[in-house]
Amino acid sequence: MTALLRYQSGLLLRSQRWLAPLLLYAAFIGVGVQAGEPVLGALGFSAAALLPVAAWSVRICLTQEPPAARSVVAAAAGRGRAHLAALVTGAAWPVLVGTVAVLAVTAIGDRRGVGGLAAASAGLLAAPACALTGAVVGALSSRPFLKAPGWSLTALVLGSLLALVTTGSPAKYAMTALVTGARTATADPPWLACGGALLLAAATAALACRATARLE
Amino acid sequence: MRLEHVGRRHGLRGPWVLRGVSLDLPSAALVRVVGTNGTGKSTLLRLLAGIDAPTEGRVTGRPARTAYVPERFPVALPFTALDYLVHLGRVQGLGRAAARARAGEWLERFGAAGHAGTGLAELSKGTSQKVAVAQALLADPALLVLDEAWTGLDAGARAELDTAVRERLATGATVVFVDHDPRRLEGESAVVYGVEAGGVRETEPEAPGRGPGPGLGSAAAGRPEAAAGVPAGGPESVAAGVGLREARPGPGAREAGLLRGRTGPGSDVRLPGAAPGAPGARVRIVVSGGPSLPGRLPGGPAVAVGDGGTTVLTVDAAHSDALLGTLLAASWHIHHLGTEGVRV
Repeated sequence: MTALLRYQSGLLLRSQRWLAPLLLYAAFIGVGVQAGEPVLGALGFSAAALLPVAAWSVRICLTQEPPAARSVVAAAAGRGRAHLAALVTGAAWPVLVGTVAVLAVTAIGDRRGVGGLAAASAGLLAAPACALTGAVVGALSSRPFLKAPGWSLTALVLGSLLALVTTGSPAKYAMTALVTGARTATADPPWLACGGALLLAAATAALACRATARLE
Repeated sequence: MRLEHVGRRHGLRGPWVLRGVSLDLPSAALVRVVGTNGTGKSTLLRLLAGIDAPTEGRVTGRPARTAYVPERFPVALPFTALDYLVHLGRVQGLGRAAARARAGEWLERFGAAGHAGTGLAELSKGTSQKVAVAQALLADPALLVLDEAWTGLDAGARAELDTAVRERLATGATVVFVDHDPRRLEGESAVVYGVEAGGVRETEPEAPGRGPGPGLGSAAAGRPEAAAGVPAGGPESVAAGVGLREARPGPGAREAGLLRGRTGPGSDVRLPGAAPGAPGARVRIVVSGGPSLPGRLPGGPAVAVGDGGTTVLTVDAAHSDALLGTLLAASWHIHHLGTEGVRV
């Protein structure tokens, strides 16, 4: 699995396909987060912005290999494992970027009323909650479920929006927890949202990895 | 490896490509798949390689080390040829150093060593195909699936791939292939599967001059200096050889295939001057190579010193294949092969 992750990460990083989603995220943060604003609100925003970025990143990882190269890896490692490696790579990099963003936003935000540590830990739970929910959207809106690029992108954009506003979505829960916390100046770590997102992502990964060899 | 009532359709409601396919894939054998265009040969190969899962039925007993070569491999990946092979070697379970060494070796063997540092996107179609073939051979797969892998290779690389296939067979691997050239590895297939109308049926191996049994092709370790020592087409060697098949005319001299000298009924290797397969027939193998013979030799051959630093092994015909396989696996060079008492 390590070799597969290294291969997928190599593909992503060397192809410079990572640049576009990263620039999008940087633009979100640059526009939406100002130095000196209440830290929890800023963390909520930066976590929410991670969702479409993670969805995009997962889609990139799932589609970056030409079919011939994918077949070769599938024969060597198993179709399901190859798919899982792409999903994990696509989700792991946004989680890493989100973690860095949380630390940076905590450092420049206004931490009055909430401790820096409490704010950072709330942010460090919200970021993966949103990133993993985004990864679920990305996994479900690309192959093997949606192969036509047009439908896939449409589903990706709509799915990302819905995942941010639908009640019951871990991302919405995590984001709301932070934004409400900003108003009342109480950092409430969104454990449940993070755990929920993790479960959802695991279930989606299991489904996608089983489906890939059958549907394609 | 076994397929039980396997069916495959594209997507959830697509037309069936294959249906009701049940077959036992023999181990340590060359398997050819034939059929006209669009009948599902590639689908069958992808099912065997584990790239696609069957829509119905099941596939059991696939070896862990499986490798696949697609027909076309002009992939635009952001790696150099060597980096790609190292990645694939590691995916197949090799360590970093081993993967790098093997990648260099195989590129060298296919005459693509000069392109090791070239990006995959800039490679010509033929060189891309060499990379595709090299990745499959990196980690000694126990199941090698070749979907028209020879297409696009130059003559030298095609011969090298034939040799590599024989080496894999000699070490007990199963090789399944499709090729549009009917003379490709002719007479060496143990089984031929014909794909037509969504079904697969076993057909007679097409080879002239041999029985329907398994044919183990072997050639001397695939290195030019080794291959040069094999008497390929001389009438003398044909007359003498138990199962030494005359190479087909043309530049394929180094492809001289050693057919399995079968024992028992059904053996039908038509060679004058020898009684292949007769009970008690003994085979003389003249070899040279490393400092000492591999530890355990199949069939317990009698060992004697031959001319010019060679070693002469004499063994029952029944064990000659296993012995040849062991010797080739240990990179020994086979000089001559013949029945006992006939000068070779």
